[in-house]
Amino acid sequence: MIGALLFVSFVVLMLAGVPIGVALGLGGVLAIGLANMDSAHFGLLAVPQNFYASLTKYPLLALPMFVLVGSIFDRSGVAQRLVNFAVAIIGRGPGMLPVVAIMVAMFLGGISGSGPANAAAVGGVMIAAMARAGYPSAFSASVIGAAAATDILIPPSIALIVYSVLVPGASVPALFAAGMVPGILAGLALILPTIWLSRRHGLGQGEASQDRPPFWASMREAFWGLMAPFLILGGMRMGWFTPTEAAAVAVAYGLFVGMFVHRTIKWGDLFPIFKEAAEISAVILLIIGLASIFAYSVNTLSIIDPITQAILQTGLSSTGALLLLVALLLVVGMFLDGVSIFLIFVPLVMPLMRAYQWDPVWFGILLTMMVAVGQFTPPMAVNLMVSCKMAGVSMEQTFPWVWWLVLAMTISMLAVLFFPPLALWLPQYLGY
Amino acid sequence: MNSPPPSLEDRLGASLLAVLLLITLVNVVVRYFTDQSFAWTEEISCILMLLLAMAGSATALVRDTHIRVEYFFERGSAQRQHRLALLSALSNALLFALMGVLSAQMAWDEFRYDETSPAIGVPKWWYTVWLPIFCGVVCARAVQRFQRLRGSA
Repeated sequence: MIGALLFVSFVVLMLAGVPIGVALGLGGVLAIGLANMDSAHFGLLAVPQNFYASLTKYPLLALPMFVLVGSIFDRSGVAQRLVNFAVAIIGRGPGMLPVVAIMVAMFLGGISGSGPANAAAVGGVMIAAMARAGYPSAFSASVIGAAAATDILIPPSIALIVYSVLVPGASVPALFAAGMVPGILAGLALILPTIWLSRRHGLGQGEASQDRPPFWASMREAFWGLMAPFLILGGMRMGWFTPTEAAAVAVAYGLFVGMFVHRTIKWGDLFPIFKEAAEISAVILLIIGLASIFAYSVNTLSIIDPITQAILQTGLSSTGALLLLVALLLVVGMFLDGVSIFLIFVPLVMPLMRAYQWDPVWFGILLTMMVAVGQFTPPMAVNLMVSCKMAGVSMEQTFPWVWWLVLAMTISMLAVLFFPPLALWLPQYLGY
Repeated sequence: MNSPPPSLEDRLGASLLAVLLLITLVNVVVRYFTDQSFAWTEEISCILMLLLAMAGSATALVRDTHIRVEYFFERGSAQRQHRLALLSALSNALLFALMGVLSAQMAWDEFRYDETSPAIGVPKWWYTVWLPIFCGVVCARAVQRFQRLRGSA
């Protein structure tokens, strides 16, 4: 009864547009209070205790650091130079610029950890260039929104940091390694429909007549950006730094490159950058803190175990349960952002994960791929929102294009679902 | 650009993030040269991160950048949208008022029972006492937003 009230109050508040964290918190407070009418303070001291405990976990510090990395590399001038270098490599021709956009988004995915920051960095450089080459803005926005979604799979990744904090037995390095192959797979899956759509609709006819940048000169220019993922991922792999420290080093590196090498960041830009990153981090952290109240309430009411038992008793196979979960989360992903999905659903499906003995790392990658697809599936698509805003198109205008990309990445996710070594081979090989 | 001057919470949030960055970088350098790591910096960093979350929550409230389901929030009549915005501000105020009272009780208990922090061993209320203060700030921002919204009707 109280359990039902918990979920109903949360869902009603959430649908009414109350910030998701606040809806989780109020639902949790209500349920905890009702369940402990006889205790001192109605058992509500658990509310600040859970909030405090969930936000004072050291590994979580990687989150604000990687948000800051995203805000800095967004302005560091690295994206423009990577684009020039990519064009120098693969050349000019119809359908080539969108492929460049996808490749650069994937590469930036190896530096930053958040999809929207990636969409902003790539969009800022590519949307105008693609318009000049004759690609419709809605098409460009779709490609960039989708390509930026590979960011949360390709390490480093804020989504994987959040998952690691929630799930014991899934370390950040193991998750980062596991995301690499599925992330590249998802990016490659996007390239096919992009080329096919460009050819079929005769897009980008103006591209062939544009200059191709010289190879060596553009590589020299792109050098600083090209080194960044090696510093971040290599430094973690070599045991030089923890994920949090790798992010801090990446911030220092990005600031150095942006301020002294490319000179795109001025001293006066520092305060807005830090202010923006502080607010974005706080929005995510607050949901994490308040979701812990909700999760505490769910756990103490023992709502989930009976439901899990009921599911198991239907004799549903492991694959069947996974596919049902995929279908559910793809729908939910249209309306909720990725971090909220993790915070709400991971505690709910953990007993199911244990019962079916799903590998926590593989399961985390699968969930992240679903979230990645949700990041550019209208209507609640954070990446697509950013790229549409930059391209000056409405989200409705992207519908003819973006569904092909949604389909392509969903197929790559199903590949990881049916063939777990795609995710698990690399972390095993590296010994995590 | 005609943006309003940064609020106190803006300055605090940006400064906290900068301090967290510096502590982490210094840790890397110190460990590289001396093979020592400072466990106590972890405890300090965690508290600063908590305060960062609270300060940034206040600025996100003012700029209305908290994540929400916008589907119903941005549709329907102007009157319904206005009511939902009021409900949103009110829910924020209510939650943080509650959290403020409860976390004050938590800090008071820790003060009364002389609880100490795990890594450094200082009184734990030195950390927790900031929670009710910041909850008060966020609650005040929510009330401010509620009144502004009501004034604009």
